[in-house]
Amino acid sequence: MADSIEAIQKAKKTYLLVFGALLVGTVLTVLVATVPALDIGGHGFDIYDAILGLLIASTKATLVAAIFMHLNHEKKLIYWVFFGSIFFFFAMGALFALAESSPIFDYNFYK
Amino acid sequence: MEIPYIVNPRKDTGLINSKIAIWLFLASEVMLFGGFFSAYVYLRLGADYPWPERTLPVLPGLINTFILIGSSVTVVFAWVALKLGNWRQFQIYMGITVACAAIFMVLKGLEYNVKFKHQAARLHDYTIVEGHLGYQKDDKKEYVFDRHGKKIEENMIRVVAEKVTVSVKRFHAPWVNEMLSEAKHNGSEIKLAADIKAITEEGGKEVTLAKAGEPLSLDLLGKIQEVQIAALKHNAALRTAALRMEWKETKKANPGKKGWQLSSDVNIDVDALSPRLLTEVSNVEFKVDPPTRFLFKPRDIKEGATSSRLRDDTVIAGVMEASPMVFHNLDAIDFQWLVMRAKERGADPDTAIANSWLMKNSEFVREAWAWHLAENVKKQDELNRRFGFKEDGKTPKETLTHKELYRIGWKELGLMGVDTKQVKIGGVDKIKEEFMGPNYKARGSETYPELSVPREEIRHAAKFTPAWNTYYAVYFTITGLHGLHVIGGALVLLYYLVFGRKMFLSNPEWLANRVEVGGLFWHFVDLVWIFAFPIFYLM
Repeated sequence: MADSIEAIQKAKKTYLLVFGALLVGTVLTVLVATVPALDIGGHGFDIYDAILGLLIASTKATLVAAIFMHLNHEKKLIYWVFFGSIFFFFAMGALFALAESSPIFDYNFYK
Repeated sequence: MEIPYIVNPRKDTGLINSKIAIWLFLASEVMLFGGFFSAYVYLRLGADYPWPERTLPVLPGLINTFILIGSSVTVVFAWVALKLGNWRQFQIYMGITVACAAIFMVLKGLEYNVKFKHQAARLHDYTIVEGHLGYQKDDKKEYVFDRHGKKIEENMIRVVAEKVTVSVKRFHAPWVNEMLSEAKHNGSEIKLAADIKAITEEGGKEVTLAKAGEPLSLDLLGKIQEVQIAALKHNAALRTAALRMEWKETKKANPGKKGWQLSSDVNIDVDALSPRLLTEVSNVEFKVDPPTRFLFKPRDIKEGATSSRLRDDTVIAGVMEASPMVFHNLDAIDFQWLVMRAKERGADPDTAIANSWLMKNSEFVREAWAWHLAENVKKQDELNRRFGFKEDGKTPKETLTHKELYRIGWKELGLMGVDTKQVKIGGVDKIKEEFMGPNYKARGSETYPELSVPREEIRHAAKFTPAWNTYYAVYFTITGLHGLHVIGGALVLLYYLVFGRKMFLSNPEWLANRVEVGGLFWHFVDLVWIFAFPIFYLM
């Protein structure tokens, strides 16, 4: 974390840059979802649009977490706590995915 | 008591305690929201109906995203101001942050309000109609008011009640009062149909609790309920005791046998027990004299032609009058689900649409559908121009989506109004539309006409609330929970702003650390929204 006055003043510029990047990212998300010419993949909403949308959102989230929440220079303990929870979040998602792919949900399985 | 390590870091962790605490809390928050987002994915993948993708007006969500991002910057600037010892700047930045939170919540409130007033109905053939409900009007086309002085929404179930049978255990007092006052207003009385007699003491004689003709009142129902509860308690105790005794004896008679082997032999001697039981009065029947019309909200009643049941198990005997759901402004016609069902059973979608109740009964819908089909041809031509054809030279590489093919939303109806009826609206009205959805006032009934749907055609109806579908359920859950976080975070930041001066003068580092911790929570709230916005508004 920035402690000296100079470092803090310098950090202010970074915060403004990140602010700009977040605004651009937001506009970009809306554009790729609403302007047909920027629609990637097939026509209409599909998996590619979902991936791109989430990719932009993740980039924005990373900027907020790294710069505003100072995760770019944090103590080890915080990394363990936060990234641990992110890991478990994905683990939970994986459980759902496994449940989805279970034959219980496959109607053809019983035919 | 002095709180340790709030200004200077602990040696082993290198951190102040409050920071570790907030990160632990945020980790739990990741799991909380993560659970809901996973639920969203699960509900969407498993949905057995066409998921309403890209259904919300984007503008309010977009503005709210800008506001939250902006507030994330100002909260970090407020912290910087404290680090530099500038109280005035801190006040300004923190003030802006809290104001942003307030604007965010106001916009959210407006958005919710629009949803709560927007009606949707699924017909038996799986057609969906959406719009704005009308209010009852008299012959002179003026609004009719109920006895409370309120307009009557044309979404009420009208029953001419002859008899009302109240469930003694479950009756809902406000509904009883409502029926009483409605009956009184209509010059009718609700009276007990027959004497209520009961044995209220073990071995005692039958006493009359209430006589036929006694008017319905909460006091009367309360009195009977008391007797009923006492009887249930008494009888349950007797039955349990008898059953225990029977078990004991059966076990004694069959030593060495297991419970499950004996269970069929365990029977209470009902004849011996019955003289000791008290009377359970579970329902009380009242006559409505003369029969009169009651209005019920659809969610409170399971209606039937001659007998209906309220949610509190009150049975209303009487003929149901025509109780159509009247859309004062119809703003969407959706055949997506109907087509999905038709394809599932191998039927032709176009025939299914042509045979739908809407197409058969509404001239406007037929017009709109014809216009929509012509528009779709143009849209497909455009796609063919952009993407071309497959190798056979005939099959288009890209086709219109299911939604484009089978849903005529409010925007399409707006375009149709412009196209066929030259209904044009101003720029301000258009912006309003982008924000609040269909602008009935500006576009009028030519674009969004009236439609009356008979009650018997409706399979499921709700406002755009969690009751409508799983999309709205998960939308309200996540955005509602997020909204609560915004309010909570803003209150904490407001506290620092209003009451922080004293601490700023005595221990500025401590206040800076507090603001940093509050700020971390605020950034997390922003993080959640960064994902919620594209997921709910753009996907």
